[in-house]
Amino acid sequence: MKSKLCKWLGACATLLLAFNAMAADTIKVGILHSLSGTMAISETSLRDMLLFAFDEINAAGGIKVGDKSYMIEPVIVDGASNWPLFAEKAKQLLEEDKVAVVFGCWTSVSRKSVLPVFEKDNGMLFYPVQYEGEELSRNIFYTAEAVNQQATPAVDYLLAQGKKKFYLIGTDYVYPQTTNLILYKYLLLHGIKLEDIGGGLRKDDSGKVISAGKYTPFGHTDYQQIVAEIKQFAAGGDACVVNTINGDSNVPFFKEVAAAGLTPADCPVVSFSLAEDELRALPTKDLVGELGCWTYFMSIKSKDNKAFLKRWDGWLKTEDHPGVVKEKRAVDSPMVLSYDGVYLWKEAVEKAGSFDVDKVRETLESGSISFEGPGGKNTMQKNHHTTKNVYIGDTRADGQFKILKTFMGVQGEPFLLKDLDEKLSAMK
Amino acid sequence: MSWRVSCQNGCSLRLMGRSGCSAPRLFMNLAPKLLVWLLSGGIFFGCFSARADNTPDSDIRQKLVQAIQSDGQAQQQLLNELAESGAKIVHDVLTAWIREGVYLYDGPDGSKIPVILDDQLDPEGKARAIRIIDGQFIKDASGKELRFASADLNTAETDMRLRSSVQQSMDTLALSAPNPEERNSAVLKLGNSQKPRYIPILQARLTKETVTAVRRSIDEAIALLQLADPDPKMEIAAAQHLAELKSIGALANIKSLMNKPGCPLDVVKACRGAVQVIDNHIAFVNFIGTIFHGLSLGSILLVVALGLAITFGLMGIINMAHGEMIAVGAYTCYVVQNIFGSGFGFSITLPISFGGKMIQFGLHIPGLNATGWWFESYFLFAIPLSFLMAALAGLAIERTVIRFLYRRPLESLLATWGISLVMQQLFRMVFGANNVQVNSPSWLLGHFSLNDVTFDYNRVFVIVFAILIVIGTWLLLTKTPLGLLIRAVMQNRAMASSLGVRTARVNMLTFSFGSGLAGLAGAFLSQIGNVGPSLGQTYIVDSFMTVVLGGVGSIVGTVCSAFGIGTADEVLQQTTGSPVTGKIVVLVGIILFLQWKPGGLFASRSRSLD
Amino acid sequence: MRPAESKTEKWGLLTVALIMVVLLPSLNAFTPAGTFLHVSNFSINLYGKYLCYAILAISVDLLWGYTGMLSLGQALFFTLGGYMMGMYLMRMIGNLGQYHQPIPDFLVFLGWGTLPTFWKPFSSFPFAILMAFLLPGVVAAIFGFLAFHSRIRGVYFSILTQALTYAACLLFFRNSLLLGGNNGFTDFKFILGYDLRSPGTQRGLYIATALALVLVYLGCRWLSRTKFGLVQQAIRDSENRVLFSGYAAGYYKLFVFVLCAFIAALGGILYVPQVGIINPGEMGTEKSLEAVVWVAVGGRGTLIGPVLGAIFINALKSWTTRAYPDMWLLILGTLFILVTVFMPKGIVGLPGQLRSLHGRFRPKSAPAPAASTEPKPEMAKTK
Repeated sequence: MKSKLCKWLGACATLLLAFNAMAADTIKVGILHSLSGTMAISETSLRDMLLFAFDEINAAGGIKVGDKSYMIEPVIVDGASNWPLFAEKAKQLLEEDKVAVVFGCWTSVSRKSVLPVFEKDNGMLFYPVQYEGEELSRNIFYTAEAVNQQATPAVDYLLAQGKKKFYLIGTDYVYPQTTNLILYKYLLLHGIKLEDIGGGLRKDDSGKVISAGKYTPFGHTDYQQIVAEIKQFAAGGDACVVNTINGDSNVPFFKEVAAAGLTPADCPVVSFSLAEDELRALPTKDLVGELGCWTYFMSIKSKDNKAFLKRWDGWLKTEDHPGVVKEKRAVDSPMVLSYDGVYLWKEAVEKAGSFDVDKVRETLESGSISFEGPGGKNTMQKNHHTTKNVYIGDTRADGQFKILKTFMGVQGEPFLLKDLDEKLSAMK
Repeated sequence: MSWRVSCQNGCSLRLMGRSGCSAPRLFMNLAPKLLVWLLSGGIFFGCFSARADNTPDSDIRQKLVQAIQSDGQAQQQLLNELAESGAKIVHDVLTAWIREGVYLYDGPDGSKIPVILDDQLDPEGKARAIRIIDGQFIKDASGKELRFASADLNTAETDMRLRSSVQQSMDTLALSAPNPEERNSAVLKLGNSQKPRYIPILQARLTKETVTAVRRSIDEAIALLQLADPDPKMEIAAAQHLAELKSIGALANIKSLMNKPGCPLDVVKACRGAVQVIDNHIAFVNFIGTIFHGLSLGSILLVVALGLAITFGLMGIINMAHGEMIAVGAYTCYVVQNIFGSGFGFSITLPISFGGKMIQFGLHIPGLNATGWWFESYFLFAIPLSFLMAALAGLAIERTVIRFLYRRPLESLLATWGISLVMQQLFRMVFGANNVQVNSPSWLLGHFSLNDVTFDYNRVFVIVFAILIVIGTWLLLTKTPLGLLIRAVMQNRAMASSLGVRTARVNMLTFSFGSGLAGLAGAFLSQIGNVGPSLGQTYIVDSFMTVVLGGVGSIVGTVCSAFGIGTADEVLQQTTGSPVTGKIVVLVGIILFLQWKPGGLFASRSRSLD
Repeated sequence: MRPAESKTEKWGLLTVALIMVVLLPSLNAFTPAGTFLHVSNFSINLYGKYLCYAILAISVDLLWGYTGMLSLGQALFFTLGGYMMGMYLMRMIGNLGQYHQPIPDFLVFLGWGTLPTFWKPFSSFPFAILMAFLLPGVVAAIFGFLAFHSRIRGVYFSILTQALTYAACLLFFRNSLLLGGNNGFTDFKFILGYDLRSPGTQRGLYIATALALVLVYLGCRWLSRTKFGLVQQAIRDSENRVLFSGYAAGYYKLFVFVLCAFIAALGGILYVPQVGIINPGEMGTEKSLEAVVWVAVGGRGTLIGPVLGAIFINALKSWTTRAYPDMWLLILGTLFILVTVFMPKGIVGLPGQLRSLHGRFRPKSAPAPAASTEPKPEMAKTK
């Protein structure tokens, strides 16, 4: 007990010293995440990871611009899962606090709500969470997985494993809708029959399919009917479920899947919004063998990753930021992509020799900025997305993924729909 | 926590479904003895086993090792041979294998020796390794038994394809499993494989099988396999037979046969008939299933709303913190689970610095590290504790805030909303913003099927549980002196007070009783849904709807409206095919219903004019 | 009843109105940035948002504080107004969106090639404004007619309005409604030909909002002093007596309910172009509850109370989410509890409370705390 106290005191003292010594040159950096409300379950972890990255950079001497070093001073604001508040907070960060860069947002709607603000004030946002693509703002850098870095590789894998029937299910918002529409077209292109794509289709007036799959609202808790339907769908064998349900509803969904005896051996579920951090809330021992696809898994056995996890654990023990929970933590892809984003930005700033948004953007767009992150090498592309490794894994009883397949250096491509449409019409 | 499966009898007693994963723990204590006995006397065991086989045990072990080390065709061949051996050891090793429990130990001569880890862990979390080839422990040069953590060893790699072929071998093996349910699912899997080579295996099994349900499945599986037969007559017979059996799993196969180009007309006709019969059956299954789902959703609503029926219905407090009381119950479950497991702790840093240092405080409760049935029983302790904790929280809230607001019911809404915000944030600070993991005890997992309708154990349990607490509440309110006092105070506070009833105390007890009921609901929801800071928000509107529709102040009304809303919701979900539409229609329905009966289903009658 | 207003009150109101409508925007426009007196663009925009909320709060108070109907669904009308305005603004983007197509981005996203029919008339500003009042009005009229016809009151009314908002919220979350689903509308560019991003337009919107607030305030003040207003308050104090006196209380209530829907919608119309986003989250039950809290904190049964409450609470929220991102819910929650328990008359009632407290502590023996001495407050509201 006493030694722990001493350690804390020591750590605080060093931090304090570090701050005092460097107080002269600081650069403000914004963190814009929901720390309360419905999205706090996912976003709070990203805040913690960003603080870790900043502390790490500061401890290593800060960001070197010219012959000066700047310490990062985080400005944390709470978007409270309220989208107009996100816009207000973004404005506050850019106009009042005049931050050099903002790391933040989780949901598509939060990104869409701050996008006009960033474009108007010429700010810079790093966005770390897998998303639907179909967007390219000059003020946003997407370290996130694009659909072709997550959904389509996962489906490729399932096709290679001989799966013939795909049930699409998601939360009713733009990411699942778009991803499922892309997958629907992708599956048709790969010879899957229309009746073997489950969940239902919706067509517009002209008979064109505008939505594929089954959708439930945010925070939905009752999956009895849907799981019963999947069971009937899977009764004929060789079926799988593609799950784009958002964070919170995954727990009742998987608890129902486990209770109803839909086993991964019969019908695996591949999830795109379920990483290690969310698995902490699931009865993982009953879900061994369900699939996930991300650009980082905690179980990656590289030296970089092991060192990273060790540093993270060490930081958790000594840090004293308010609100950071120390017990039972996991690291997952969105967190690591946040971390990568910080280093990509640092690299670009140091190379550009300035915090100026236009100069940093130019450097980032040059294609020469890359970072050896815990999940492998990340390179910023001209189109504001990153090239990175894609991993497919299945869940283990301890809440980790076991890596089944790796795709090295996949380029991020935000616009997929148009290309698929052209290919589909060519096939007809 | 990595998977360790030992070669022990525990595995063969696995239940159907997922429950098996935790069942072996029940046999933790038996494990070492059984293990030695089993491994050293494999042949002996083989003679007594139900499926006597002629292959000597060492031969099988040899093949197992080969199978683990080979790949491709050869591996497949070996797996097929192993599948036919029927030996217990094959089942155990294969189970361990697909769960990443088979490791490759680097022998002194550079060879890779497949091993599995013993179930018995030492304090450092390490275990002895058992050679698959002869069932002996790995020893070092001096003859000392070596111990390993799972991370020290390399796992024998598996991929999805290998696992599915291992699974297939296990299915064949499982045809003679002692548990009929296990046999049943094995049979169905073979039926779906569309590989006619299984027909003779299944037919052989049919002659031996005694359990009716399994016989039926074998029958169905054979018919399914015959559907893939090139002979049209066979196909017609199979289709008709499947129609008789009302096989849902066969529907896709029959349809694809029917739509195959060049399919003879009479086959198409037979198929069409079969499809119709099966479709009707599916409609029936869905109907019964929907009713069951409705009942279970209704029970959840009932459990959730019952506490509110007391605090809001009887006491008139618009308790927006009701949801947080539910969350208190659910978090209690989490804490109890962790205390039974590895312990529970938290630390909070306040954004207030004191002498240049942030104020930090924390708590750590060491765990009992219970395993097996002892751990599984945590839920039994958690249920009363959830009630207690929520009741205490309710008591505190009543004493500090609500007692000032009995005469201002609409304003109680605002204060309790404030309480709800504060509590949500406190949950975040203590337990983290993420949802937390609450594992269901194995006796609540799994399901049983009746005529193709699936009944989950936890859903059945929630229905029974809801009925029990309704009866309990009803008894308390009508058959005890306290209940009498509660009713008196709620009906006319001033009158009761003037007759000498200590109203303040009754109020306090009633409110904490209502909160306690919410805590019970939380314990329950932890088994089927999220446990997180905003858990309560999910249910608050539904709870109010249920109470208002039932008639404020009427417990019977709450029961009826909960089941009514639950069933209507599920039926609409089924008919409209969209979960949201169902919910919207139900809400609008409630609004319209209340225009017709403004007091709810069971309006309390009163001559007073407010 | 309310005493005839004094001259100071009149002048005070005029001063506040002038500061809001004239002084703040001029300070924003005519002082150089960075000087002490300068009001930044960010602040003007933020104040605009607060004033929209103040309009919403007045509508809640007119229902709750003046007529005794606690509606937990005012945010529905606010958001409906906002959505209609949003549809107009979406049409004004033209083909400057991501896809450079003449229809809104999210429709392209969902695979639509042409504009759905019901979207077409929203290119016209007058039509959008008309709909922004008409739709909430019609919803309020239908719901109100049904509810008051069957004499639903008190808690039942509150819970039903909550159910209504919740149902509407679920409906708007659906992508198939073709109103943007969860994302709603965002990335607006122009309003009536003015660039929404320019500080000038934002200032104009702020002035419009401030004027609207002043007008709504004056209108409600006038209404509360007419005979209609007296009946309205009588309904709050004892609906049955009003009924027995031969007034059709139901129609009075219906009129107030629809009027409040209009006022809330007005707030929504002004809100959307200033915050730049509208989505179904705004309709959630929480927003309505928040609006009720603003009124309670400010002081219900007065007209200045809701305005003060809305501005105070929102300013506090803006500040705490930046200063104490991990604690702000604790701060706000505790504040709500304290205000409800100890300040039943809100900020407006605070001076009176302090005076009486002061008077009470002068004698030797201090009687029971303020809250418990209040005689049946549902009946005896601030007159």
